[in-house]
Amino acid sequence: MDKGLLAYLLIPLLSAVIIPFAARSRARLADILANVTLLAGLLNLAWLALRPSVIAGGFADIPGDGFSLLLVGAVYLVGLCVTFFSAWFMEDGQANRPAYYSLILASVSAMTGVVTTTDFFTLYVFIEVLAVTSFALITTDESTKGIEGALKYFFLTFPASALIIVGISILMLSLGSLSFETLRIFMASDVPPGPVTFAAALIMLGFLIKSGVVPFHAWTPDAYQGAYAPVSAHLAGIVTKISGVYAVVKLATLLRFFDGRAAALSEMLMFLGLLSIAVGALAALRQKDFKRMLAFSSISQVGYIVLAAGLGTPLAIMGAIFHLVNHATFKTVLFLNSASLEKSAGTTDMEKLGGMEHSMPWTSWTSVIALLSTAGVPPLSGFWSKLLIILALWEAGLRGYAALALLFSLVTLAYFMVMQRKVFFGKKTQAAESAPEVGAPLLAPVVLMSALIVALGLLFPYFYAYAKMVAERILL
Amino acid sequence: MNLILIPIVLPIASALALLFISERTKYLKELLAIGAAVVSLLAAANIFLQPPPDLTLRWLGSWLAFSLHADNLSAFLLLAVSLFSAAISVYSFSTPNKGPAKWFFFNLLMTQGFAAGAALSDNLVAMLFFWEGLLVFLYTFIALSQDNHAARRTAMKAFLINGVTDLCLLVGITITAYIAGTASMSEISRDKLTLDYGWSMFAYVLLMIGAVSKAGAFPFHTWIPDAATDSSASFMAYVPAAIDKLLGIYFLARASVYLFSLNGTMQLVLMSLGAVTILVAVMMAFVQKDYKRLLSYHAVSQTGYMILGIGTLNPIGIAGGLFHMINHATYKSCLFMTAGSVERQAGTTDLSRLGGLFRAMPVTGVCFLIAAAAISGIAPLNGFFSKELVYKGTLDTGYTVFFLAAELGSFLTLASFLKLGHSVFFGDCPEGLKDAKEAPFSMLLPMTALAAICVAFGFGAELPLNWLVVPSLAGMNIPNPTMSGFHLDKLYFVSLIVILAAVINHILGLAAGGGKASKASDHIHYAPVLKETYALAERRAFDIYELGMDKAVPAVSRLLFKADRFFDWVIDTAPSSMAGFLGGTASRFHNGSYPLYMALTIAGAVIYILLAGGLK
Repeated sequence: MDKGLLAYLLIPLLSAVIIPFAARSRARLADILANVTLLAGLLNLAWLALRPSVIAGGFADIPGDGFSLLLVGAVYLVGLCVTFFSAWFMEDGQANRPAYYSLILASVSAMTGVVTTTDFFTLYVFIEVLAVTSFALITTDESTKGIEGALKYFFLTFPASALIIVGISILMLSLGSLSFETLRIFMASDVPPGPVTFAAALIMLGFLIKSGVVPFHAWTPDAYQGAYAPVSAHLAGIVTKISGVYAVVKLATLLRFFDGRAAALSEMLMFLGLLSIAVGALAALRQKDFKRMLAFSSISQVGYIVLAAGLGTPLAIMGAIFHLVNHATFKTVLFLNSASLEKSAGTTDMEKLGGMEHSMPWTSWTSVIALLSTAGVPPLSGFWSKLLIILALWEAGLRGYAALALLFSLVTLAYFMVMQRKVFFGKKTQAAESAPEVGAPLLAPVVLMSALIVALGLLFPYFYAYAKMVAERILL
Repeated sequence: MNLILIPIVLPIASALALLFISERTKYLKELLAIGAAVVSLLAAANIFLQPPPDLTLRWLGSWLAFSLHADNLSAFLLLAVSLFSAAISVYSFSTPNKGPAKWFFFNLLMTQGFAAGAALSDNLVAMLFFWEGLLVFLYTFIALSQDNHAARRTAMKAFLINGVTDLCLLVGITITAYIAGTASMSEISRDKLTLDYGWSMFAYVLLMIGAVSKAGAFPFHTWIPDAATDSSASFMAYVPAAIDKLLGIYFLARASVYLFSLNGTMQLVLMSLGAVTILVAVMMAFVQKDYKRLLSYHAVSQTGYMILGIGTLNPIGIAGGLFHMINHATYKSCLFMTAGSVERQAGTTDLSRLGGLFRAMPVTGVCFLIAAAAISGIAPLNGFFSKELVYKGTLDTGYTVFFLAAELGSFLTLASFLKLGHSVFFGDCPEGLKDAKEAPFSMLLPMTALAAICVAFGFGAELPLNWLVVPSLAGMNIPNPTMSGFHLDKLYFVSLIVILAAVINHILGLAAGGGKASKASDHIHYAPVLKETYALAERRAFDIYELGMDKAVPAVSRLLFKADRFFDWVIDTAPSSMAGFLGGTASRFHNGSYPLYMALTIAGAVIYILLAGGLK
């Protein structure tokens, strides 16, 4: 466990415990406590990483490997956006308000644990905590769809936990230790891998299921679509990324794919990544529901990260890290906007929506920014991460992979174009006529995230320096 | 600033300045244009008398320098270009029917500047730049001269014909520069290219196509007669009669004797091209019923003499070709000017509605007589001497057949000018033209100046030969040919026979046409076999442009359309229907069925574990 970052784990946990008691009589106090906790954490992080002196020094002063810090930042950012959004989104009389915030803070705490831990067993524990909080969060509004989604999420991902624990046991038997460092040193040595890579492959499979990579993706559309609206942003934006994709990237670096050790696993990972990209993008093309399309898009974007992780070269890892962060920004914007649409227009069915740019300009245009970033249109941040990934593939001599990744990036653009035309542009439909723009508090998080998308794109050289530092620390 | 830039930069700058002058000002535009043209003429004369140092600007690396070089031939050409620009700009001061004055003078000055640039460029690429610039202004010149559909159609025709041949020139220049390793003409000429192998042959043929098409030779001439009816007399006097001939023949001479050393086959090709051009065009000219259209066919036909002369490849023939080039520009410009003033004063150029104008327009009439005599090769005017040199050169090669063709052309030329002169200036004056007056001074001045040059270059033929032509040949490293002035040898008697034959033909034609001068060619026009041929020609059956537009272009565009549909299908319909199919399949698959999802997950996990466990 990275002790420097322990406070980021403990403080939200503490708040999560306090909230039910503090907010017993005054429910609003729960919102305030949650927001304050996350905001304070975020400011603290910004101070840690974004001081001018740190930036000028090429981020050499960042504690730990930098990867954890970055992801803690992303977790807090998305968490803050979601809690802030929820504070105004939730109906006033909703019964389980304190529980909701408590769960969000608990999941933030668990995610912080996931990204700061340095051994497999702790990782497993936090992943399970995260999964439990997620099941509960999905069903916040107690709709049937939400419960169905939660159940699918639970049943389809429980094999993952089993596989992970089996993998950990084999690893323990063969390696004698569960710390990341041991595995890294073992992979760097010349000892024949034997059961170690098999154990790692089992753990990897568990995380692949958790990240929703094709063919283990079937739970994602239903869970995202059925979940309580802000929760889907939380889930798609960060939870599944941390509980699955982060661990995949981490394992990929530990297994030193760029060395050619565990080459079979590397190839398999890349194949699954590309498969996800293709299936997610193609399935998204024909979706009728805004949130469901976003869910398939999420599968496709996760594919890019897994593909890059499978390649494992420093450039690819940089691309994967950057894409992970970008994915958190644009998917949060899109899902929060879908929640706004649902609140204002009463539906997320694309057939019923149309011409929303007239009645909900802010929601529409922030969505457009996020869509373009997802599709990889310069100069938005999504362009750079996809560029890094495709460049890495090209450099590694995998021309076919690079070309296909590029091609499906075009398909991404295609389905988002379809969505833009159906939802935001074109003629106003009946649903749009009676849909007022949501209030400023609901817009604030998406505007902040959109600004971040543009800023990350424009200030890419700084981010590149950071990602380079991370890649160097975790790979060498 | 180097003096060599003035003839290029001054006209272009003045042309741009013209655009800022209000349309309502009177005479200001005309005076500016005349001033620019006259100053350029003075600068050109200065360059001719005292060649300034070369101007070389580094451009696109070392082998592509933008270099201007005034050797004897270039300076001679520059002088001619500037002379005709000055003459035409004065002439156009009061011609009507030239389109908006602003645009007319803009085009004129632009053409002048670019023509001067093409004449002075030593680098082939720089020359090509100016050459292609002329193409743009050729189009705007015709298109803006009349505000009707025909003018735009003819402009497009001229543009396309010249565009295609300019493309040939571009390819030719590229290959030449590649073979020679340099694009500088003076450097290439130090070690001339030969036609020994395919690529250099190809390059030369392309250069030749570019040059003769600029000069308006068969079969690239077909836009010129159309332009005669669809644009102004000033334009005809300037571009097809003067500038195009000058540049085309200039570059033909450069390519044929300066850059390449040709062989016998190519000599035969050039001479045949010249002879065919002479005969085809003069046959057409002979039967024309319109003043300007008749002249325009002669403008084509005379090109044949120049190509024939250069094609002989012997010093006398080349000298004759170059001399004919300047002579032709002089008398043909003068003839088009007379056509313009007749058009202005009488209101028509239709031969059947003109007649007896000599009394009303004596100065125009005299100028016409001089120029017509010059073009027909009547001694001792300038046309006689240049034609004599061409004949002599042709005879020296031993191909008598070309000599006979040229003489036949000469006969028909004279015959058609007898018909033209008779029907315009003599005979009965139609009712409507009784009160016609002489053209204004600004039109008569350049006309008489050019007629005077015709006379001067005739009686004093030594002068232009020794001052202009021989130095040009010397500049191209051709030994000094022995040329003589007027003397009573057999060529002179042949010319007398030709004159006699033409007069007899005219009398016969008059008798056959019922005494009407405009019908004096009908006995040939409607002769048994020729009648059908002429009918076909009038229907433009021999016009490669019209043929191409009617036959080839629709087929090719249909083919391209089909190809385009196919590419559309490949990049649009096929991928989107495939993506749609796959997307539909994928979304139908995600039907929410829990057992299906579970089965998929487990199957995937099993395969993964098997593979991870080492199963291959």
